[in-house]
Amino acid sequence: MKPVLPFIMAGSPSLERLPALLAEAAALDLEAIEVGLPHSDPIADGPVLQAAAQRAIARGVTPVQVLECLARCPSSPSVILFSYFNPLLQLGTGRLIALLRPTPVRSLLIVDLPHGEEAEFERELRAAGYPLVPLLAPTTSLDRAMRLLQERPDPGPSVPFAQRFAYVVARLGVTGAAGAPDLGLVRDRLAALRKITGRPLTVGFGLADAVSLESVRAMGAVPVVGSAVVAALYEGKSLRAALHAE
Amino acid sequence: MTVPPAEFVLPTRFGRAAFGGCYAPETLMTPLLELEAAFRAAQADPDFGVALARELREFAGRATPLTPAPQLARATGLQALYLKREDLAHTGAHKINNALGQALLARRMGKTEIIAETGAGQHGVATAAACARLGLVCTVYMGATDMARQAPNVARMKLLGANVIPVTAGQGTLRAAVNEAMRAWAARCDRAHYILGSALGPHPFPTIVRSFQRVIGDEARRQVLAAHGTLPEAIVACAGGGSNALGLLVPFAEDNLRRMAVEAGGHGRELGEHAARLDGGRTGVLHGCKTLLLQDSHGYTAGTASISAGLDYPALGPELAALAVDGRVEVWRASDEEAFAAAQQLCALEGILPALESSHALAALPRLAREGVRVVLLGLSGRGDKDIASYERALKSGGAA
Repeated sequence: MKPVLPFIMAGSPSLERLPALLAEAAALDLEAIEVGLPHSDPIADGPVLQAAAQRAIARGVTPVQVLECLARCPSSPSVILFSYFNPLLQLGTGRLIALLRPTPVRSLLIVDLPHGEEAEFERELRAAGYPLVPLLAPTTSLDRAMRLLQERPDPGPSVPFAQRFAYVVARLGVTGAAGAPDLGLVRDRLAALRKITGRPLTVGFGLADAVSLESVRAMGAVPVVGSAVVAALYEGKSLRAALHAE
Repeated sequence: MTVPPAEFVLPTRFGRAAFGGCYAPETLMTPLLELEAAFRAAQADPDFGVALARELREFAGRATPLTPAPQLARATGLQALYLKREDLAHTGAHKINNALGQALLARRMGKTEIIAETGAGQHGVATAAACARLGLVCTVYMGATDMARQAPNVARMKLLGANVIPVTAGQGTLRAAVNEAMRAWAARCDRAHYILGSALGPHPFPTIVRSFQRVIGDEARRQVLAAHGTLPEAIVACAGGGSNALGLLVPFAEDNLRRMAVEAGGHGRELGEHAARLDGGRTGVLHGCKTLLLQDSHGYTAGTASISAGLDYPALGPELAALAVDGRVEVWRASDEEAFAAAQQLCALEGILPALESSHALAALPRLAREGVRVVLLGLSGRGDKDIASYERALKSGGAA
């Protein structure tokens, strides 16, 4: 399977299906997968992920259930746990780390937690082996990007991809925006970032079709596919089909 | 635009609880840093202060009067009651103070578009009016439930040239509208400024909104001293996010008197039946700030209920929440029914039709009198024309609508 980082929403289509999806991801030889915790107020997400989170919450899916379910997924790629900060704050750092221990989670992507807002929380998670993924947006200047990459440093090639990569946001706006992002801009952005970092880069927000995925790979980055995968899984497709791997 | 500083300069947290902060997606961090830099530069620029003061005077009709309310004082057991009449500000509520301030700031930043959320529609109308006056394109996100219950304000926004976008997610109220406005800002932050209307959201919004709203309390302080000779014993305001309450209370922060904020008690004490964050909420993060939040045990935001769209929001603004936790502001609640009764009383005794939001503050008066308070300054945050349909229903049913 060509490099790709899929995003799936825990609890959509159902939490019961999560172990099978992760096993399928492992069988596809994927290095990592993003698993989203559903949230009631996903301010960075577009309509597809909002609806998926809403469905999961309506079915009674809770963050603890998701983490306990992940602990029962023996066959899985490294999981990057995607979340908003509040559900994690309510769990508390100690309980969160204890729940993470038996899971394949290797890092966390907390979309509304800039470095420094919860320094103690971030330090404890990193010390326990769960670094936070740095996000680089189109509005992030190169100076700022350099700082963000230092604040959440790359531990180096001895650790899994999930703990090393930086997430490059391909466009302004929310996840799953209609229409492919301007790939010319993405190419220029990646070239500029390459000059300041050697760590693996993923590119996401609005990538869906096979051509866009291939273009991003040709730029030396790993494409993230979220909304398109979540929508396809909801329609009953397999992960393989959702990732255009057939 | 010059390069923004790498860090915020103003304090981002409030009180011992360290509420506030900037829990924003990375896409919005640079716009927020730029906004703080522009706000600081504007505050330091005498020309900006002059321009804002002129707009507040010539367009918004400030200073708003302080009206003695002797009949209502007698009826509620007080010796004297003074109403700070934000209902007489242009567009009918205190929201115009912040809308004009931020619209001028946006123009200064070279932004051509404005995004806003609105609950009761008062902030939406104020923003639409400010944008019409300053030549800015305006889009307002409003919950579908709120659009139905505040229909006159929807018509006003459209007349003022705003594009009003209904938000059907969640309960179709202010919280869903803020979600959608933040998403819209992330998509258009290169050219648009987001005028948040409440003292909440990521830093620097709570500070900016409070700063543009404190004109209410600054004026009221001079006026009440002139009218009464001394400061009142208590000052009371309603609190949704907290822009009106902070605007009135902050200039009295160091005085020896009771500072009160009244939340929406809705129609019950269970989670989902009210919007009373002080005794129902726990520390949490919503819409970019840490504060007291109505939520379930999983950290999902809870549903809220209030007859007043402007108070129907699950989080108390971070600065007001911090003041409450530190014991510097007392937070009470008033039910839908109490708010209706208080509104009818003000109409009958003083000839003033208050907004449902402001009626929650009025509902606190008898209790203040019972506790021995004699002289009160009350923030009448808005007028009640927008709530006519709700008042009519309440009159017919003889109680809450």
